[in-house]
Amino acid sequence: MSGVFGSKVKRKEDPRLITGQGTYTDDVKLPNLAHAAILRSPYAHAVIKRVDVSKALEHPSVLAVFTGKDIVQKIGPIPTAWLPPDSDIKTTAHYALAIDKVRYVGDGVAMVVADDLYAAKDALELITVEYEVLPAVVNQEAAMGKMAPVVHEDAPNNVAFHWQAGDATDEMFANAPVHVSHRFVQQRLIPNAMEPRSSVAQYNASTGSLTMWLTSQNPHIHRLLLSGILGLPEHHIRILAIDVGGGFGSKIACYPDEALVGFAAMELGVPVKWTEERRENFLVTTHGRDMILDVEVAGEADGTLTAIRVHNIANMGAYLSTAGPGVPTILFGLIVPGAYRFAHAKVDVYGVFTNTTPTDAYRGAGRPEATYVLERIVDLFALELGMDPVEVRRKNLIGADEFPYHTALGLEYDSGNYQQSLDKALGMVKYEEFRQEQEELRSQGRYIGIGCTTYVEICGLGPSQVAGAVGFQGGLWESSTVRVHPTGKVTVFTGASPHGQGEETTFAQIVGDRLGIPIDDVEIVHGDTDRIAMGWGTYGSRTTPVGGNALAIAVDRVIEKARKIAAHMLEASEAEVEFQNGIFYISGHESGTVRQVTFQEVVLQAYLAWNLPAGVEPGLEGHSFYDPVNFVYPFGSHFCMVEVDRETGEIAILRYVAVDDCGRVINPMIAEGQVHGGIAQGIGQALWEGAVYDDRGQLLTGTFMDYAMPKAHFFPEFETAFTETPAPQNLLGVKGIGETGTIASTPAVVNAVIDALRPFGVRDLDMPLTPEKVWQAMQKGSVSA
Amino acid sequence: MVLNMQFRYSFNHPRSVVWRHLQDEQVLQRTLPGCKRLQSRADGAFDAELGLDVGPIKGMFSGEVRLLEQVEPEHYRLLLLGSGKPGELHADSLVSLIETNAGTEIECAADIQVTGLLASVGQRVMGSVARMLLGRFFKNVDDDMKTNASLELPQ
Repeated sequence: MSGVFGSKVKRKEDPRLITGQGTYTDDVKLPNLAHAAILRSPYAHAVIKRVDVSKALEHPSVLAVFTGKDIVQKIGPIPTAWLPPDSDIKTTAHYALAIDKVRYVGDGVAMVVADDLYAAKDALELITVEYEVLPAVVNQEAAMGKMAPVVHEDAPNNVAFHWQAGDATDEMFANAPVHVSHRFVQQRLIPNAMEPRSSVAQYNASTGSLTMWLTSQNPHIHRLLLSGILGLPEHHIRILAIDVGGGFGSKIACYPDEALVGFAAMELGVPVKWTEERRENFLVTTHGRDMILDVEVAGEADGTLTAIRVHNIANMGAYLSTAGPGVPTILFGLIVPGAYRFAHAKVDVYGVFTNTTPTDAYRGAGRPEATYVLERIVDLFALELGMDPVEVRRKNLIGADEFPYHTALGLEYDSGNYQQSLDKALGMVKYEEFRQEQEELRSQGRYIGIGCTTYVEICGLGPSQVAGAVGFQGGLWESSTVRVHPTGKVTVFTGASPHGQGEETTFAQIVGDRLGIPIDDVEIVHGDTDRIAMGWGTYGSRTTPVGGNALAIAVDRVIEKARKIAAHMLEASEAEVEFQNGIFYISGHESGTVRQVTFQEVVLQAYLAWNLPAGVEPGLEGHSFYDPVNFVYPFGSHFCMVEVDRETGEIAILRYVAVDDCGRVINPMIAEGQVHGGIAQGIGQALWEGAVYDDRGQLLTGTFMDYAMPKAHFFPEFETAFTETPAPQNLLGVKGIGETGTIASTPAVVNAVIDALRPFGVRDLDMPLTPEKVWQAMQKGSVSA
Repeated sequence: MVLNMQFRYSFNHPRSVVWRHLQDEQVLQRTLPGCKRLQSRADGAFDAELGLDVGPIKGMFSGEVRLLEQVEPEHYRLLLLGSGKPGELHADSLVSLIETNAGTEIECAADIQVTGLLASVGQRVMGSVARMLLGRFFKNVDDDMKTNASLELPQ
């Protein structure tokens, strides 16, 4: 219906999901279902001397036990699917079960399949593994040292790859009137989707086909990769990801565990289920971030920024996860100059193996890290000059009249109005008043601070030609099929695979808006490789800008054909027929006149086919395979206001203001929800979260007791607003909104805390900003204001 | 993770008596918390099975107990190596016996290393649990002395 695009429609999927009616992978129950459990290494680095499974096999419920040696000839290694070019990348073999060496705590050593879940877990205790423990290395910088333990023999100095981009030279920094440098640490984070990973596999030996239910953000990619691993032709594999309870990047990767489940179902001829325990999720589902970043900016005395360079040592963990190498390189590196007019930039990235859980995309994937170091160093630059950080930003932001803007690292920013966004946010914040209040409170011994981020994000991944050029082993276009049924109801098949982002609603809004039909007449089907031609999934805030535009094009193809039939029914030429609010009518006459026909009437004629125009086939379906010409670049301005408790070091978030621009907004409520979730995750990194290993590679933050998961009551009411600068290069004018909150909020919060701590001479603190750390910093500092 | 800890316990018994109890296989079997089995081996070590209960983690550990570097009646080294479903445990402690007016003071300095669940889940409670287990052990030995006076007689 007209007006449905841009309105706050409630999420269609929620009643199902919040009343326990969803179909998550672990909900799948099949006759004779067997259960798998995986024995995991307790050591971060050890040689496997001997594995004895004989006692486990004697357990009456156990159907099979597999070790690395049992499977090595039967299934292929787990591949890495992002190979940054010219980076000398070492894709060392990663077997689904370790064969002679384990490389992190959690590395799979054996899999038990039993007819009962508890028997499978009990049988794990009956397996004896003899290890020879080796020294482990956890820190990526230490791992590059000459004496460091070697994780993979074929990767000298543990360097997995070395990637560079940009042209900034030493002289640009050495000779700059203002030169600021600093080392920042992006701590390791654990994604913690609400639904742990799970997989159910059923093999039909008579047809040779394998059906797998999978917690997946990208079922077609998983089908492709599993086809290679399991040696089954692609058309004999069906992947189903019906309802998926969050991913945040952690369900992109192709994991050993899921491949083993498929293998076991084929080998044993019974359906097999495996569901991760929460503790396994902490231990073996990919982690995020973990980078050591040396950053430098050069600028003029008037506050103009001229060049930036970043040296990034990224911890890749024990193996290169599916998309892992793309995160600290392409997704991080290319956006380093951010929203500012840097003439030159340089990025130098080392990806390093360590004896830790593999890292991969985590909400924002590379872009939060880049935005963090940029927004933090801009604040340090402002401090160096004695300028207000907002003024430095205003001076350097790319102007609204400069788009499309070509960055120092070769990106073409599509559209933006950064100053307008900043002004809007400043208006909401009442910046000058806050600064006055800050002065007054300081004199009373109270410390409040304000921090901001003026970010630009690269998302809507992406043009396939670029995907190829940057080493992504796949395309990044998206497919859509719009099937109109004889009664005018519509089923949409999308290659995107939403898992919490609300596209069952927003995509229905796109269709309802264009066809002029109620959104309840539209069903969105996703996450089924048998029903959907092809797709590349949901990540990188691509679902709406790429999948949504594929859908809009497919809908328009439906309208195009329907118009031909309508013209025939109205005995008019196609050019005379207008379409609005679900009614085809003759130009010159408003709808409501006699010469009109409804969309539903046209659809019925398309199917009856009693009287179709010459050359028009029966049926009504629109298809599209849409490859975007460019990425999209959402942007915005976030402000955080905090108070630091002088006595305890505790941080109270007083206000959080977010102004985001994701182009045209389809559903403000869902867009706002995405921003809220993103901010919460970003603040989580700034203040609380952090995965900690001891020096022998034992994960010390392996439960929610020790890993601080943000909770709703930690946060104030977020104040959010949007500006709408349409994306110029796609039909819907939309950009992505799924990651902006995570990208913008972390530096805004840290900038605010450091601003509050200015009287103590604190220049920077490593995240998370725990009360103890903040308190120590205040004790060390001297009050100067 | 590695945990360093210190522990003290006072006995109202002479040092030689306390020493004999602490070195005795039967006493150890009765007093080691959660001890299901303790069997001496030819090499002087003991094969042991211990049921441990560390905060949220419960499980059987099998492994060995070694009494080393004994300097009677002053000090010895107690080595405990155990592995079980919750992970592995490696405790290396120096136990010193000091004569006091009241009897004997035990000083125990231990390095405890754990892996697996014990590390990821149990680390926050490890210190207090280790303290509790050591406390229970020495208390058991203390109680045992009262009921098994035979060991108090000079041998």
